[in-house]
Amino acid sequence: MSSAHETAGRLPAEPEKATLEGRNKILGFWLFLAAEVVLFGTLFASFIALRNQVPEGPTANELFNLSMVAISTFILLTSSLTSVLATMALHRHHLNGLLGWMAVTVLLGAAFLILEIYEFYEYAHLGHKFASSAFATSFYTLVGFHGAHVLFGVMWITTLILQTFRKGLTVVTAPKFYVAGLYWHFIDVVWVFIFTIVYLMGKVG
Amino acid sequence: MSAHQDPSSAEGRPYKHEGPKNHYITFILSILLTMFAFAAVIYGDLDRGFVLWFLSILAIVQAVFQLVYWMHMKDRGHAYAILYMVMGAIIALTAFAAAVYWMWW
Repeated sequence: MSSAHETAGRLPAEPEKATLEGRNKILGFWLFLAAEVVLFGTLFASFIALRNQVPEGPTANELFNLSMVAISTFILLTSSLTSVLATMALHRHHLNGLLGWMAVTVLLGAAFLILEIYEFYEYAHLGHKFASSAFATSFYTLVGFHGAHVLFGVMWITTLILQTFRKGLTVVTAPKFYVAGLYWHFIDVVWVFIFTIVYLMGKVG
Repeated sequence: MSAHQDPSSAEGRPYKHEGPKNHYITFILSILLTMFAFAAVIYGDLDRGFVLWFLSILAIVQAVFQLVYWMHMKDRGHAYAILYMVMGAIIALTAFAAAVYWMWW
């Protein structure tokens, strides 16, 4: 761990892969993401199976407001771009660029969460509650799980930014930002399937 | 920063910073694919079966682009990452196919 205290000026080209610990962290994180693929895959499968089971309460077609979904999609897509710009700043050892782009990512993630909470609040008023129907239960489980991932990402990256203010960019902190970036992209990839399968296919029927 | 300190250039290739070009292209492509998907549902007076396939293909293309460029799966040293993700996708798709088969046939 003696190399952990290198200053930013002497960082290697890809600081997140400079130590064995950093490389293992990235490898392990991909294993975690594969497990997340399985988790979300099964939630999508149960949603697909149950999405038309609406004995009472509003159906998907009556409920969904596509303009709001489009805004959420644009926000999350843009936040994925800002997190890859943060990773590029990391590779160039630009600490301010890294922290700035990560802060923008966190703010966009928070905006996405506020929209989602407002959306769920509105649905509950329309009679679309967790236990209203099998459709509602599978909807809230799938979309809520994704929202919980966004919330976790927002808190995780916020604490990373605060920690890096104190510790600076080192071969220890660099892998943390790299895997946080991977996590954020993965959340956006899951959202691609949510807006396609839940919202758009819900409108098609 | 001499070459031998940098494990990414251990094979004699000096590390080259990638430009943001691919990331911007992926972003614009994602926006376009998303717009096509929304337009097909909002404006398209199309056959239901066709729209479902169209939406599925757009989503998969967009997901692959983001995995390959934004998540750097195209870079060297991602063999295990690809293996993990393919295995995860096989299990997820099996569950998915079972649910679709159970409900629709």
